[in-house]
Amino acid sequence: MAKKSFFKRITLWRYLFLTLCFIVVIGNPFTNYYWDINFIQGWFQSIGIGNLWVVSPLEGLESILTAKFFYMPSLVGMVIPVTLAFLMGRVFCSWMCPIEFLSLLTDKILGFIPKWGKDLKYRKDLVRFAKYTLWFALVAELMITMIIGYPMFVWWSPPGLVGRETMFYVFYKHITIEAVIVVVVLLMNLITRRMFCRYFCPLGALLALIGKKRQLVIEYNASKCVGCKICDKRCPMGIKPSVGESQTVYCWNCAECVDACPTSALKFVWRDRGFITLPKGTKGESAV
Amino acid sequence: MKRERKTDRREFLKVTLGAFMGGALFSSCSLSDLKNPKTMVKSPIKTNILRPPGAVSEEHFAQKCIRCGRCGEVCPYHCIKYFDVKTGGVFSGTPYIDVMEKPCYLCMKCVYVCPTGSLVPCAKEEVRMGVAVINRQICVSWQQDKTGLMCKTCFNVCPFSGVAIKIDHDFRPYIVEEYCTGCGICAYSCIADTYPENNGKKAIVIQPIKWKKIKEIKLEDIKKS
Repeated sequence: MAKKSFFKRITLWRYLFLTLCFIVVIGNPFTNYYWDINFIQGWFQSIGIGNLWVVSPLEGLESILTAKFFYMPSLVGMVIPVTLAFLMGRVFCSWMCPIEFLSLLTDKILGFIPKWGKDLKYRKDLVRFAKYTLWFALVAELMITMIIGYPMFVWWSPPGLVGRETMFYVFYKHITIEAVIVVVVLLMNLITRRMFCRYFCPLGALLALIGKKRQLVIEYNASKCVGCKICDKRCPMGIKPSVGESQTVYCWNCAECVDACPTSALKFVWRDRGFITLPKGTKGESAV
Repeated sequence: MKRERKTDRREFLKVTLGAFMGGALFSSCSLSDLKNPKTMVKSPIKTNILRPPGAVSEEHFAQKCIRCGRCGEVCPYHCIKYFDVKTGGVFSGTPYIDVMEKPCYLCMKCVYVCPTGSLVPCAKEEVRMGVAVINRQICVSWQQDKTGLMCKTCFNVCPFSGVAIKIDHDFRPYIVEEYCTGCGICAYSCIADTYPENNGKKAIVIQPIKWKKIKEIKLEDIKKS
Protein backbone atom coordinates (compact mmCIF):
# COMPACT_ATOMS: atom_id res chain seq x y z
CA MET A 1 0.00 0.00 0.00
CA ALA A 2 1.03 3.58 -0.59
CA LYS A 3 2.68 5.61 2.11
CA LYS A 4 0.59 8.23 3.86
CA SER A 5 0.70 11.65 2.27
CA PHE A 6 2.92 14.20 3.99
CA PHE A 7 0.25 16.33 5.64
CA LYS A 8 -1.85 13.39 6.80
CA ARG A 9 0.95 12.05 8.95
CA ILE A 10 0.15 12.45 12.63
CA THR A 11 3.85 12.45 13.50
CA LEU A 12 4.28 15.63 11.48
CA TRP A 13 1.88 17.39 13.84
CA ARG A 14 3.68 15.83 16.76
CA TYR A 15 7.01 17.20 15.59
CA LEU A 16 5.49 20.64 15.08
CA PHE A 17 3.88 20.60 18.51
CA LEU A 18 7.09 19.40 20.16
CA THR A 19 9.02 22.19 18.46
CA LEU A 20 6.43 24.76 19.52
CA CYS A 21 6.60 23.61 23.16
CA PHE A 22 10.38 23.61 23.04
CA ILE A 23 10.43 27.15 21.66
CA VAL A 24 8.07 28.28 24.42
CA VAL A 25 10.30 26.78 27.11
CA ILE A 26 13.54 28.04 25.60
CA GLY A 27 12.14 31.38 24.56
CA ASN A 28 10.41 32.57 27.69
CA PRO A 29 13.59 33.36 29.68
CA PHE A 30 14.62 35.62 26.77
CA THR A 31 11.28 37.44 26.64
CA ASN A 32 11.29 37.81 30.42
CA TYR A 33 14.87 39.01 30.63
CA TYR A 34 15.32 41.23 27.61
CA TRP A 35 11.85 42.64 27.03
CA ASP A 36 10.25 42.25 30.47
CA ILE A 37 7.27 40.47 28.97
CA ASN A 38 5.90 38.34 31.79
CA PHE A 39 3.06 36.80 29.83
CA ILE A 40 4.62 33.34 30.02
CA GLN A 41 6.80 32.34 32.95
CA GLY A 42 8.35 29.11 34.09
CA TRP A 43 8.73 25.79 32.35
CA PHE A 44 7.16 22.38 32.64
CA GLN A 45 7.43 22.17 36.42
CA SER A 46 4.99 25.00 36.51
CA ILE A 47 4.15 27.23 33.62
CA GLY A 48 2.07 30.36 33.80
CA ILE A 49 0.45 31.61 30.62
CA GLY A 50 -1.39 34.79 31.48
CA ASN A 51 -3.61 33.79 34.37
CA LEU A 52 -3.53 30.09 33.51
CA TRP A 53 -1.40 28.07 35.91
CA VAL A 54 -0.22 24.58 35.16
CA VAL A 55 1.63 22.55 37.78
CA SER A 56 3.31 19.28 36.96
CA PRO A 57 1.54 16.44 38.84
CA LEU A 58 4.60 14.70 40.29
CA GLU A 59 6.22 17.89 41.49
CA GLY A 60 2.95 19.04 43.01
CA LEU A 61 2.46 15.63 44.64
CA GLU A 62 5.96 15.68 46.11
CA SER A 63 5.39 19.15 47.44
CA ILE A 64 2.18 17.97 49.11
CA LEU A 65 3.84 14.81 50.49
CA THR A 66 6.80 16.59 52.03
CA ALA A 67 5.13 19.77 53.24
CA LYS A 68 1.91 17.98 54.28
CA PHE A 69 0.04 21.00 53.14
CA PHE A 70 -2.57 21.59 50.45
CA TYR A 71 -2.38 24.84 48.58
CA MET A 72 -5.39 25.42 46.36
CA PRO A 73 -3.68 27.21 43.41
CA SER A 74 -1.24 24.30 43.20
CA LEU A 75 -4.07 21.74 43.20
CA VAL A 76 -5.99 23.72 40.60
CA GLY A 77 -2.86 23.91 38.47
CA MET A 78 -2.59 20.12 38.55
CA VAL A 79 -6.12 19.64 37.18
CA ILE A 80 -5.22 20.21 33.51
CA PRO A 81 -2.24 17.80 33.28
CA VAL A 82 -4.03 15.13 35.31
CA THR A 83 -7.13 15.38 33.11
CA LEU A 84 -4.96 15.23 30.01
CA ALA A 85 -3.19 12.14 31.33
CA PHE A 86 -6.47 10.57 32.39
CA LEU A 87 -7.96 10.95 28.93
CA MET A 88 -4.92 10.51 26.70
CA GLY A 89 -2.19 8.80 28.73
CA ARG A 90 1.42 9.87 28.45
CA VAL A 91 0.87 12.47 25.74
CA PHE A 92 2.90 14.98 27.73
CA CYS A 93 5.95 12.76 27.28
CA SER A 94 5.55 12.25 23.55
CA TRP A 95 3.99 15.54 22.46
CA MET A 96 5.45 18.18 24.81
CA CYS A 97 8.49 17.06 26.78
CA PRO A 98 11.69 18.92 25.79
CA ILE A 99 13.73 15.79 26.43
CA GLU A 100 11.66 13.98 23.81
CA PHE A 101 12.30 16.90 21.46
CA LEU A 102 16.05 16.62 21.99
CA SER A 103 15.99 12.82 21.66
CA LEU A 104 14.02 13.11 18.46
CA LEU A 105 16.44 15.71 17.19
CA THR A 106 19.41 13.42 17.84
CA ASP A 107 17.54 10.59 16.10
CA LYS A 108 16.87 12.80 13.08
CA ILE A 109 20.47 13.97 12.95
CA LEU A 110 21.69 10.38 13.18
CA GLY A 111 19.33 9.57 10.31
CA PHE A 112 21.21 11.97 8.03
CA ILE A 113 24.43 9.97 8.29
CA PRO A 114 24.92 8.30 4.89
CA LYS A 115 25.03 4.50 4.70
CA TRP A 116 24.14 3.70 8.34
CA GLY A 117 21.61 6.49 8.78
CA LYS A 118 18.50 4.36 8.81
CA ASP A 119 20.03 1.69 11.01
CA LEU A 120 21.09 4.29 13.54
CA LYS A 121 17.74 6.05 13.47
CA TYR A 122 15.78 2.91 14.25
CA ARG A 123 18.59 1.22 16.13
CA LYS A 124 18.23 -1.95 18.11
CA ASP A 125 18.05 -1.77 21.88
CA LEU A 126 21.33 -2.89 23.42
CA VAL A 127 20.12 -3.08 27.00
CA ARG A 128 16.63 -3.99 28.01
CA PHE A 129 15.04 -4.08 31.41
CA ALA A 130 11.65 -5.33 32.46
CA LYS A 131 9.00 -2.79 31.58
CA TYR A 132 7.74 -2.57 35.14
CA THR A 133 11.04 -0.98 36.20
CA LEU A 134 9.08 2.22 35.57
CA TRP A 135 6.89 1.64 38.62
CA PHE A 136 9.91 0.96 40.82
CA ALA A 137 11.35 4.26 39.66
CA LEU A 138 8.21 6.07 40.77
CA VAL A 139 8.05 4.31 44.12
CA ALA A 140 11.77 4.80 44.79
CA GLU A 141 11.54 8.46 43.89
CA LEU A 142 8.62 9.05 46.24
CA MET A 143 10.19 7.02 49.06
CA ILE A 144 13.52 8.86 48.86
CA THR A 145 11.66 12.15 48.74
CA MET A 146 9.70 11.34 51.86
CA ILE A 147 12.71 9.98 53.77
CA ILE A 148 14.89 12.99 53.05
CA GLY A 149 11.95 15.27 53.58
CA TYR A 150 12.63 17.47 50.59
CA PRO A 151 11.22 16.98 47.11
CA MET A 152 13.88 15.52 44.81
CA PHE A 153 12.37 15.31 41.33
CA VAL A 154 11.74 19.04 41.37
CA TRP A 155 15.43 19.73 40.91
CA TRP A 156 16.67 16.76 38.95
CA SER A 157 13.79 16.30 36.51
CA PRO A 158 15.44 16.39 33.05
CA PRO A 159 12.59 18.27 31.28
CA GLY A 160 12.62 20.85 34.05
CA LEU A 161 16.38 21.16 33.85
CA VAL A 162 16.24 22.05 30.16
CA GLY A 163 14.19 25.10 31.08
CA ARG A 164 16.18 25.88 34.21
CA GLU A 165 19.57 25.73 32.51
CA THR A 166 18.32 28.02 29.74
CA MET A 167 17.03 30.40 32.35
CA PHE A 168 20.32 30.25 34.25
CA TYR A 169 22.23 30.95 31.10
CA VAL A 170 20.06 33.90 30.12
CA PHE A 171 19.73 35.42 33.59
CA TYR A 172 23.02 34.64 35.29
CA LYS A 173 25.28 33.83 32.32
CA HIS A 174 26.39 30.47 33.65
CA ILE A 175 25.19 26.90 33.63
CA THR A 176 24.93 24.75 36.74
CA ILE A 177 26.36 21.29 37.21
CA GLU A 178 22.89 19.72 36.96
CA ALA A 179 23.06 20.10 33.19
CA VAL A 180 25.07 16.86 33.29
CA ILE A 181 21.80 15.02 34.03
CA VAL A 182 20.32 16.16 30.72
CA VAL A 183 23.45 15.10 28.86
CA VAL A 184 23.47 11.70 30.58
CA VAL A 185 19.80 11.15 29.74
CA LEU A 186 20.50 11.97 26.09
CA LEU A 187 23.55 9.68 26.04
CA MET A 188 21.47 6.86 27.49
CA ASN A 189 19.39 7.15 24.33
CA LEU A 190 22.33 5.84 22.36
CA ILE A 191 22.31 2.58 24.34
CA THR A 192 18.59 2.05 24.15
CA ARG A 193 16.11 4.38 22.51
CA ARG A 194 14.38 6.53 25.15
CA MET A 195 16.02 4.46 27.89
CA PHE A 196 15.32 7.03 30.59
CA CYS A 197 11.73 7.62 29.47
CA ARG A 198 11.02 3.92 29.29
CA TYR A 199 12.44 2.69 32.56
CA PHE A 200 13.42 5.48 34.92
CA CYS A 201 11.23 8.54 34.51
CA PRO A 202 9.05 8.90 37.63
CA LEU A 203 6.92 11.59 36.01
CA GLY A 204 6.26 9.33 33.04
CA ALA A 205 5.34 6.54 35.45
CA LEU A 206 2.85 8.76 37.25
CA LEU A 207 1.28 9.93 33.99
CA ALA A 208 1.11 6.33 32.74
CA LEU A 209 -0.53 5.29 35.99
CA ILE A 210 -3.11 8.05 35.73
CA GLY A 211 -3.73 7.15 32.10
CA LYS A 212 -4.16 3.44 32.68
CA LYS A 213 -7.78 3.58 31.50
CA ARG A 214 -7.24 6.31 28.97
CA GLN A 215 -9.69 7.06 26.17
CA LEU A 216 -7.19 7.64 23.41
CA VAL A 217 -5.48 4.41 22.39
CA ILE A 218 -3.87 2.99 19.29
CA GLU A 219 -6.05 0.12 18.20
CA TYR A 220 -4.64 -2.89 16.44
CA ASN A 221 -6.72 -4.43 13.70
CA ALA A 222 -5.54 -8.01 13.22
CA SER A 223 -7.54 -8.55 10.02
CA LYS A 224 -5.65 -5.77 8.22
CA CYS A 225 -2.20 -6.67 9.54
CA VAL A 226 0.16 -8.34 7.09
CA GLY A 227 2.78 -9.14 9.73
CA CYS A 228 5.57 -6.91 8.42
CA LYS A 229 6.56 -5.87 11.98
CA ILE A 230 7.64 -2.40 10.88
CA CYS A 231 5.72 -0.95 13.84
CA ASP A 232 7.79 -2.97 16.34
CA LYS A 233 10.94 -1.59 14.80
CA ARG A 234 9.73 2.00 14.78
CA CYS A 235 8.34 2.12 18.31
CA PRO A 236 10.67 4.26 20.44
CA MET A 237 9.31 2.72 23.62
CA GLY A 238 10.27 -0.80 22.61
CA ILE A 239 6.79 -2.27 22.80
CA LYS A 240 5.18 -4.40 20.14
CA PRO A 241 2.08 -2.84 18.57
CA SER A 242 1.90 -5.89 16.31
CA VAL A 243 0.65 -8.00 19.19
CA GLY A 244 -1.65 -5.35 20.59
CA GLU A 245 0.74 -3.97 23.20
CA SER A 246 -0.13 -0.45 22.12
CA GLN A 247 -3.15 -0.57 24.40
CA THR A 248 -1.09 -1.19 27.54
CA VAL A 249 0.05 1.52 29.96
CA TYR A 250 3.53 1.56 28.44
CA CYS A 251 2.38 3.11 25.16
CA TRP A 252 2.75 6.88 25.04
CA ASN A 253 0.61 7.63 21.97
CA CYS A 254 3.40 9.04 19.85
CA ALA A 255 1.82 7.75 16.60
CA GLU A 256 5.12 6.53 15.12
CA CYS A 257 3.61 3.09 14.50
CA VAL A 258 0.37 4.55 13.13
CA ASP A 259 2.27 6.37 10.42
CA ALA A 260 4.65 3.52 9.72
CA CYS A 261 1.93 0.94 9.22
CA PRO A 262 1.58 0.31 5.46
CA THR A 263 -1.88 -1.22 5.73
CA SER A 264 -3.29 1.14 8.37
CA ALA A 265 -3.95 -1.72 10.71
CA LEU A 266 -3.01 0.59 13.57
CA LYS A 267 -4.95 3.75 14.23
CA PHE A 268 -5.98 6.10 16.99
CA VAL A 269 -9.30 5.31 18.58
CA TRP A 270 -11.27 7.20 21.19
CA ARG A 271 -12.52 4.49 23.48
CA ASP A 272 -16.17 4.75 24.39
CA ARG A 273 -16.62 4.14 28.08
CA GLY A 274 -19.70 6.25 28.53
CA PHE A 275 -17.56 9.10 29.81
CA ILE A 276 -17.62 10.96 26.55
CA THR A 277 -20.18 9.40 24.25
CA LEU A 278 -20.05 9.63 20.51
CA PRO A 279 -22.97 9.38 18.08
CA LYS A 280 -23.92 5.75 17.52
CA GLY A 281 -22.91 5.54 13.88
CA THR A 282 -19.31 6.48 14.58
CA LYS A 283 -18.84 4.32 17.62
CA GLY A 284 -15.32 3.01 17.90
CA GLU A 285 -14.31 4.25 14.50
CA SER A 286 -13.59 7.91 15.01
CA ALA A 287 -9.91 8.23 14.33
CA VAL A 288 -8.40 11.35 15.79
CA MET B 1 46.26 -8.96 68.50
CA LYS B 2 43.34 -10.22 66.48
CA ARG B 3 40.82 -8.39 68.60
CA GLU B 4 42.58 -5.10 68.16
CA ARG B 5 42.70 -5.53 64.45
CA LYS B 6 39.00 -6.31 64.36
CA THR B 7 37.95 -3.25 66.25
CA ASP B 8 40.26 -1.21 64.12
CA ARG B 9 38.62 -2.35 60.98
CA ARG B 10 35.17 -1.81 62.41
CA GLU B 11 36.00 1.67 63.44
CA PHE B 12 37.57 2.38 60.10
CA LEU B 13 34.43 1.16 58.37
CA LYS B 14 32.27 3.26 60.64
CA VAL B 15 34.30 6.36 59.99
CA THR B 16 34.42 5.89 56.23
CA LEU B 17 30.72 5.07 56.04
CA GLY B 18 29.87 8.03 58.19
CA ALA B 19 32.09 10.29 56.17
CA PHE B 20 30.62 9.01 52.93
CA MET B 21 27.04 9.46 54.09
CA GLY B 22 27.79 12.83 55.54
CA GLY B 23 29.58 13.89 52.42
CA ALA B 24 26.80 12.67 50.20
CA LEU B 25 23.98 14.27 52.11
CA PHE B 26 25.09 17.24 54.10
CA SER B 27 28.47 18.53 53.06
CA SER B 28 27.13 20.36 50.05
CA CYS B 29 25.02 22.55 52.30
CA SER B 30 26.81 25.48 53.85
CA LEU B 31 26.94 25.98 57.58
CA SER B 32 24.09 27.75 59.27
CA ASP B 33 21.92 27.60 62.35
CA LEU B 34 18.93 26.74 60.26
CA LYS B 35 18.55 23.02 59.94
CA ASN B 36 15.78 20.51 59.86
CA PRO B 37 15.85 18.77 63.26
CA LYS B 38 14.73 15.44 61.82
CA THR B 39 16.92 15.00 58.76
CA MET B 40 19.70 17.38 59.86
CA VAL B 41 19.75 18.97 56.42
CA LYS B 42 21.17 22.41 56.83
CA SER B 43 19.68 25.36 55.05
CA PRO B 44 21.96 27.53 52.93
CA ILE B 45 20.10 30.62 54.14
CA LYS B 46 22.42 32.80 56.21
CA THR B 47 23.38 36.41 56.79
CA ASN B 48 22.59 38.51 53.71
CA ILE B 49 21.40 35.40 51.81
CA LEU B 50 17.65 35.54 52.18
CA ARG B 51 14.45 34.10 50.77
CA PRO B 52 12.32 36.31 48.49
CA PRO B 53 9.52 38.33 50.05
CA GLY B 54 6.45 36.55 51.35
CA ALA B 55 8.36 33.30 51.90
CA VAL B 56 7.01 30.82 54.40
CA SER B 57 9.34 29.95 57.26
CA GLU B 58 12.57 28.30 56.21
CA GLU B 59 11.75 24.84 57.61
CA HIS B 60 8.88 24.52 55.14
CA PHE B 61 10.19 26.55 52.23
CA ALA B 62 12.22 23.93 50.38
CA GLN B 63 9.47 21.36 50.91
CA LYS B 64 6.81 23.48 49.30
CA CYS B 65 8.90 25.03 46.55
CA ILE B 66 8.84 23.09 43.26
CA ARG B 67 11.73 25.03 41.73
CA CYS B 68 9.75 26.32 38.78
CA GLY B 69 11.76 29.54 38.60
CA ARG B 70 8.80 31.77 37.93
CA CYS B 71 9.65 34.18 40.74
CA GLY B 72 13.07 34.81 39.21
CA GLU B 73 11.65 35.32 35.76
CA VAL B 74 9.15 37.98 36.77
CA CYS B 75 11.58 39.85 39.02
CA PRO B 76 12.15 43.13 37.13
CA TYR B 77 15.43 43.83 38.95
CA HIS B 78 16.75 40.27 38.42
CA CYS B 79 17.70 40.11 42.08
CA ILE B 80 16.24 36.62 42.72
CA LYS B 81 18.85 33.92 42.22
CA TYR B 82 18.84 30.16 42.61
CA PHE B 83 20.95 27.68 44.52
CA ASP B 84 22.53 24.84 42.59
CA VAL B 85 23.67 21.45 43.85
CA LYS B 86 27.06 22.81 44.91
CA THR B 87 25.76 25.69 46.97
CA GLY B 88 22.47 24.28 48.16
CA GLY B 89 22.44 20.46 48.11
CA VAL B 90 18.81 19.36 48.21
CA PHE B 91 17.89 23.04 48.28
CA SER B 92 19.07 23.23 44.69
CA GLY B 93 16.78 25.34 42.58
CA THR B 94 15.23 27.28 45.44
CA PRO B 95 15.29 31.07 45.12
CA TYR B 96 17.33 33.45 47.24
CA ILE B 97 18.24 37.10 47.28
CA ASP B 98 21.83 38.11 47.92
CA VAL B 99 21.34 41.61 49.25
CA MET B 100 25.02 42.43 48.80
CA GLU B 101 24.68 42.02 45.03
CA LYS B 102 21.16 43.29 44.53
CA PRO B 103 18.65 43.91 47.28
CA CYS B 104 14.90 43.43 47.01
CA TYR B 105 13.02 46.58 46.04
CA LEU B 106 9.71 45.16 47.24
CA CYS B 107 7.85 45.39 43.93
CA MET B 108 5.91 42.29 45.11
CA LYS B 109 5.64 40.73 41.65
CA CYS B 110 7.09 37.35 42.65
CA VAL B 111 4.55 36.57 45.35
CA TYR B 112 1.70 36.57 42.86
CA VAL B 113 3.22 33.97 40.52
CA CYS B 114 4.26 31.33 43.07
CA PRO B 115 2.14 28.23 42.32
CA THR B 116 2.84 26.34 45.54
CA GLY B 117 2.39 28.87 48.31
CA SER B 118 6.08 29.05 49.13
CA LEU B 119 5.71 32.76 48.58
CA VAL B 120 2.44 33.90 50.06
CA PRO B 121 0.87 37.04 48.62
CA CYS B 122 1.14 39.85 51.13
CA ALA B 123 1.43 43.61 51.37
CA LYS B 124 4.79 45.37 51.21
CA GLU B 125 4.65 46.18 54.90
CA GLU B 126 4.11 42.55 55.88
CA VAL B 127 7.27 41.26 54.20
CA ARG B 128 9.73 39.73 56.69
CA MET B 129 12.72 38.50 54.72
CA GLY B 130 14.99 39.08 57.68
CA VAL B 131 15.96 41.75 60.10
CA ALA B 132 18.60 44.46 59.74
CA VAL B 133 21.28 44.54 62.40
CA ILE B 134 23.59 47.52 62.87
CA ASN B 135 27.18 46.92 63.87
CA ARG B 136 27.77 49.93 66.07
CA GLN B 137 31.50 49.34 66.20
CA ILE B 138 32.00 50.29 62.56
CA CYS B 139 28.93 52.39 61.76
CA VAL B 140 30.07 55.81 60.61
CA SER B 141 27.38 57.66 62.52
CA TRP B 142 27.79 55.64 65.69
CA GLN B 143 31.53 56.31 65.61
CA GLN B 144 31.14 60.03 64.95
CA ASP B 145 33.92 60.85 67.39
CA LYS B 146 36.35 58.97 65.17
CA THR B 147 34.98 59.67 61.71
CA GLY B 148 33.43 63.04 62.26
CA LEU B 149 30.56 62.15 59.92
CA MET B 150 26.83 61.79 60.20
CA CYS B 151 26.01 59.50 57.30
CA LYS B 152 22.27 58.66 57.43
CA THR B 153 22.51 56.65 54.16
CA CYS B 154 20.55 53.71 55.54
CA PHE B 155 17.90 56.06 56.86
CA ASN B 156 17.54 57.75 53.49
CA VAL B 157 17.31 54.62 51.35
CA CYS B 158 14.97 52.62 53.59
CA PRO B 159 11.55 52.21 51.93
CA PHE B 160 10.03 52.67 55.38
CA SER B 161 12.43 55.27 56.68
CA GLY B 162 11.31 56.81 59.91
CA VAL B 163 9.38 53.61 60.69
CA ALA B 164 11.81 50.73 60.27
CA ILE B 165 14.97 52.82 60.67
CA LYS B 166 14.84 55.74 63.00
CA ILE B 167 17.44 58.31 63.94
CA ASP B 168 18.11 59.42 67.47
CA HIS B 169 19.00 62.92 68.66
CA ASP B 170 22.68 62.37 67.80
CA PHE B 171 21.83 61.34 64.19
CA ARG B 172 22.66 57.73 64.95
CA PRO B 173 20.44 55.17 63.16
CA TYR B 174 18.66 52.35 64.96
CA ILE B 175 16.38 49.58 63.71
CA VAL B 176 12.80 49.05 64.80
CA GLU B 177 12.71 45.25 64.39
CA GLU B 178 8.94 45.17 64.43
CA TYR B 179 8.69 47.05 61.15
CA CYS B 180 11.90 46.01 59.37
CA THR B 181 11.05 44.13 56.18
CA GLY B 182 14.60 42.86 55.65
CA CYS B 183 14.68 44.06 52.05
CA GLY B 184 18.39 44.79 52.37
CA ILE B 185 18.56 48.13 50.57
CA CYS B 186 20.22 49.63 53.65
CA ALA B 187 22.84 46.87 53.78
CA TYR B 188 23.47 47.23 50.06
CA SER B 189 24.06 50.97 50.22
CA CYS B 190 25.97 51.16 53.52
CA ILE B 191 29.22 53.07 53.03
CA ALA B 192 31.20 51.58 55.92
CA ASP B 193 33.03 49.13 53.64
CA THR B 194 34.77 52.01 51.87
CA TYR B 195 36.86 52.56 54.99
CA PRO B 196 39.99 50.40 54.66
CA GLU B 197 40.10 49.52 58.37
CA ASN B 198 36.73 47.74 58.07
CA ASN B 199 38.06 45.16 55.57
CA GLY B 200 35.04 45.47 53.30
CA LYS B 201 32.59 44.88 56.14
CA LYS B 202 29.27 46.67 56.08
CA ALA B 203 27.99 48.28 59.23
CA ILE B 204 24.50 46.92 58.61
CA VAL B 205 23.62 43.34 57.68
CA ILE B 206 20.39 41.40 57.27
CA GLN B 207 19.97 38.37 59.49
CA PRO B 208 17.41 35.74 58.50
CA ILE B 209 14.60 35.05 60.91
CA LYS B 210 14.62 31.53 62.28
CA TRP B 211 10.99 30.91 63.00
CA LYS B 212 8.88 33.55 61.55
CA LYS B 213 6.33 35.23 63.70
CA ILE B 214 4.51 37.81 61.70
CA LYS B 215 3.09 40.05 64.34
CA GLU B 216 -0.07 41.96 63.87
CA ILE B 217 1.29 44.89 62.00
CA LYS B 218 -0.60 48.07 62.35
CA LEU B 219 -0.72 49.30 58.78
CA GLU B 220 -2.31 52.54 59.91
CA ASP B 221 0.69 53.31 62.08
CA ILE B 222 3.00 52.97 59.11
CA LYS B 223 0.85 55.07 56.84
CA LYS B 224 0.57 57.83 59.42
CA SER B 225 4.26 58.30 59.87
